[in-house]
Amino acid sequence: MAALIKPACLPRLLLAVVASVPGIVLAASSCPKADPEALQWLDKMSRSAHTAYHGVVTLQRGEDMQVMQISHSITGDSSSEQLTKLTGQGAQVVRQGHPLNCLHTGHRLLQLGASMDAGDCGVSRYYRFQVAPGERIAGRRAVSILVEPRDMYRYGYSMELDQETGLLLKSSTLGRGDLVLERFQFANLSYGAPMPSSGEVEVVHEANHPASTTTDISAAWTIGWLPRGFEATEGAPGLLGRRTYTDGLAAFSVFLEPLSREIKPGEGIAREGSTTSYTRGLSLGGQPVLVTVIGEVPVNTARMVADSVRWTQ
Amino acid sequence: MSERMRESLSALMDGEADELELERVLRQIGDDAELRQTWVRYHAVHAVSSGQQLSSLSLDISAQVRAAVAAENQVGQAASRWQSLWRPAASFAVAASVAATVVLGGQQLSQFSASGDSTADSALAAGVSPVGLVNSLGATSVQASYGTQSVPSLQPASRTAYRELARQRMQQFSQEHAEQAALNTPQGLLPFARVHTIQE
Repeated sequence: MAALIKPACLPRLLLAVVASVPGIVLAASSCPKADPEALQWLDKMSRSAHTAYHGVVTLQRGEDMQVMQISHSITGDSSSEQLTKLTGQGAQVVRQGHPLNCLHTGHRLLQLGASMDAGDCGVSRYYRFQVAPGERIAGRRAVSILVEPRDMYRYGYSMELDQETGLLLKSSTLGRGDLVLERFQFANLSYGAPMPSSGEVEVVHEANHPASTTTDISAAWTIGWLPRGFEATEGAPGLLGRRTYTDGLAAFSVFLEPLSREIKPGEGIAREGSTTSYTRGLSLGGQPVLVTVIGEVPVNTARMVADSVRWTQ
Repeated sequence: MSERMRESLSALMDGEADELELERVLRQIGDDAELRQTWVRYHAVHAVSSGQQLSSLSLDISAQVRAAVAAENQVGQAASRWQSLWRPAASFAVAASVAATVVLGGQQLSQFSASGDSTADSALAAGVSPVGLVNSLGATSVQASYGTQSVPSLQPASRTAYRELARQRMQQFSQEHAEQAALNTPQGLLPFARVHTIQE
């Protein structure tokens, strides 16, 4: 089992927490295209980690359906999460002692609050939202938010949030032509005390926290183009100088492998559910490299990001 | 070349461009050398994944394609201008696919043969690529000729190899991606469910 990692937020994240006090009234007038009701729901959803719950979740990707147990508990001012796979590999992912005031880039982007008064319309510049009464999911009444991308660089979503807590109960990732690429859904859900653990587990993975990642090779490369609204996640670049970017709803990571010999230029694509893996072999300033973009974004986005990788010197 | 143009170009490669983008590219491509080069570069990598041979792609763009698109536009306008605004006509897809198989002259192709492909070819033919991928399918790459230039012809060996590379990288990197996605997207630890085999 991996060593327990002490989570710690970077200072600038704590500043971000101060800037987004809950309960600020969203000023719709400064962002005419924004739907204030939808933005309030997204804000609430991003804070739903402050409640304790446990349940069974299904993840459907094409023909493949996975079932897992999710448990989320609160102790003092930190939360612990646990995901146990009930089908396939007997694996468990655990994240312990995650401070509640630790606000990561993705969630910050969903908490517009005061920044909207200042004219920053944030996520509503990249997505169009539509709020409607939702279905009943896992015995809970839900509110439905249809999330439609405003450009071609991201997928759409059909989300169902718990009307009471804002917890994301169901989410479908929609590709071109509203094709469902992936669907995740709670099958049952209880709030309160953590669920007694069940299911045989062979592998336990202690989930990482950005402050603990270390740099493997020199971070001597950079990305020249990002789809609008995507921001770097915090923490030092990881394996192979990995960088991750998020717009609050989707994320992708970029990896660069320097090669010892020339490679025939080309590209390869692998897709699973909403995940794209795009690998491009090229010569970058005379150095043969393999650039890989992995994430829940369309192939076109991955290609354009890979195309913009440059050495920094 | 503007960033906007580059976006249009990439969108076009995936058939995701709208009519305006296609027109923008076609308007510019005759006059903009950089745009042509980027197109060729995008197309070359795309050709690998779709299994086309570079040497089989036809030359001569603009006049023909522009005429085709103009014709399509007129038809579209006659039918219903309103409709064509909201729904790209099916015929537009045809024009786009015509556009996507254009350009690529001997001059541009020589750029590829100059970039050390012959060594990569022999590496692939020998069974092992520089990235440690075993070419188990036994396909070999072949040199085709284009005029006086020796031009690399992209054979299934590298197309399959690249697809396999992308698949292997997905397995190799998905956990590290999930680690970040779990902190920055709304579904909590769920991104880990996308990882095939979770490592400790």
